[in-house]
Amino acid sequence: MSAARRLLLALGLLSVALVAVAVVSLFVGSAGLSAPAVLRALTGRAGAESIESVVTLQLRLPRVVAAVLAGGALAVAGVAFQGLTRNPLAEPAVLGVSSGAAFGVILAQIFGLGLSVLQALGVAVFAFAGALLAAAAVYLIAAVPGGLSIQTLLLSGVIVGIFFTSAITVLISIVDFNRLGGVVHWLLGNLAPIPPASLALFALLALAGFWLVLGSARELNLLALGEEAAVQLGVDAARLKRRVFVAAALLTGTVVAFTGPIGFVGLVVPHMLRGVLGQDNRLLVPTALVGGGIFLLVADTLARNVVAPAELSVGVITSFCGAPFFVYLLRTRYRASL
Amino acid sequence: MSLRGLALIVAAAALLLASPAGALTLRDMLGRTVTLPAPPARIVSLVPSVTEIVFSLGAEERLVGRTDFCDYPPAVRTKPSVGGMVNPSLETLVALRPDLVIATDEGNREETIRQLERLGIPTYLVHANRVAETIELITRVGELTGHAADAPRLIGEMQRRIDAVRRAVAPFGRPRVLYVLWPDPLIVPGRASMLTELIEIAGGVSITGGDGDAYPRFSLEAAVARAPEVIILADHSTGSSTAGRSSPEKWQHLVSVPAIRAGRLHSADLSILHRYGPRVPDGLETLARMIHPEAFR
Repeated sequence: MSAARRLLLALGLLSVALVAVAVVSLFVGSAGLSAPAVLRALTGRAGAESIESVVTLQLRLPRVVAAVLAGGALAVAGVAFQGLTRNPLAEPAVLGVSSGAAFGVILAQIFGLGLSVLQALGVAVFAFAGALLAAAAVYLIAAVPGGLSIQTLLLSGVIVGIFFTSAITVLISIVDFNRLGGVVHWLLGNLAPIPPASLALFALLALAGFWLVLGSARELNLLALGEEAAVQLGVDAARLKRRVFVAAALLTGTVVAFTGPIGFVGLVVPHMLRGVLGQDNRLLVPTALVGGGIFLLVADTLARNVVAPAELSVGVITSFCGAPFFVYLLRTRYRASL
Repeated sequence: MSLRGLALIVAAAALLLASPAGALTLRDMLGRTVTLPAPPARIVSLVPSVTEIVFSLGAEERLVGRTDFCDYPPAVRTKPSVGGMVNPSLETLVALRPDLVIATDEGNREETIRQLERLGIPTYLVHANRVAETIELITRVGELTGHAADAPRLIGEMQRRIDAVRRAVAPFGRPRVLYVLWPDPLIVPGRASMLTELIEIAGGVSITGGDGDAYPRFSLEAAVARAPEVIILADHSTGSSTAGRSSPEKWQHLVSVPAIRAGRLHSADLSILHRYGPRVPDGLETLARMIHPEAFR
């Protein structure tokens, strides 16, 4: 089967799965609406002020969209960081880039940036800057002549992550807005219904990052052969790395700005897709967008329902899946390279 | 309080002050035994509510230290601070040469309390999640500071105002109330929170009061489905910071909620409601006016 046909088939199957999961997610929740009631709301046959309309259209639907966007963006960021560093375990949270972005968001909140779309853009800019800063730091610490070794990169990621987490703690203790643990919960990663205008901005920024990574997919395949080989094959390696680097930071920063830091999506999803589709980034980038959406939507649907009417943070669920997965990868596939 | 009770407390206080070099053995609110060589004269409070109580009893001459969060009454500024509730500076604390530290199991770290024990500084733990426990706490702080005789006056005044609220709201129905401690993610008071009890006294029913946790992270759609008739947003934003700001505009689109339709969405800095001290009646009265404006016309 040609690459194009495999891509279409994979995207088709994933899209069907995404729609199915989204439908399930719209129909379940702690409000305990009946299926006909949700259907009435979705088809516009329920009054605008009815509980089924408000719960389905104002609460569940925007949250489903946010989950799909955030999951897709994180998975693509994972593919991008893995291609860029030629390290299969690279991922926004593992590399400390999410912590950098979270630091940016909290700083923006201290400066008074809040809810309106324009201010949300401001928060995203801060998050992007934080992500860039953290990613650059990791890269500079880990870079040695001849490339990046897996363990040095992971260690730098851990160090940078710890640094930014401490910086966040400092901000929190200075400002004392932590009296009731709201920020602590935010730091675990939470999806909330986002108003339509901000959701559109979220989508725009995430798609911009996706587009940059997608456009670099072919060259990332060549980079996998080694930087020298890539240059000999006509790839401007420095430019490629800059572009993917910025795109991955943009994706991470955007997600953190709108949902808080959610870990391990960028690790779990690309790896599962690689198991089926192989190493070709031209297949991985678009399928990661859809697959990441499915993964996070499933996780958030669980987060909303397993302890209802209380809720879990979705980041807790992704970590529970992702951390053992990370250990599994470390102990099996990448044992030799450590 | 009966005259006999008053006499007992006065007698106890007299005993406390009179015992010259007599060591005293006390039991704190967590049932721990605290032994003091003499009645404490240099107290450090790591609990904002306790600091308020000390001042309300006129016992501030015995207070030599407080935390950054002890901000009421304004006169507390004259006392040196030992840092935050979670991360007080032990060095600063020790330098104040306290003969008693009052701390809590909710808000202070166990680590801090262990360190104080190791340093041989007597530590008295307090804990209050109910109005009755707040009253008990005031009595205990009175005894600790040698101002036991002042406690009944303060407690009596608080009881009188609490009872007045009860009476004022008694004739009316009990609306369903959603109290929002933190907006995103949604955190609300559960069964073990004093807020749930205060909402009850103020003549409402907290729709999240059945949850087992003290401060559960709650589902927004479950809150909407329970159709609250009054929504109260606690505002925690400090300075220009937007974290914890109550943002009533974010709730306006929930048009199926009776509270939104009726315009009964309140937002206020209710930090006094989160303290178990002498200002509980102040917070309670504000709460009651939001839940039952008709009772206070």
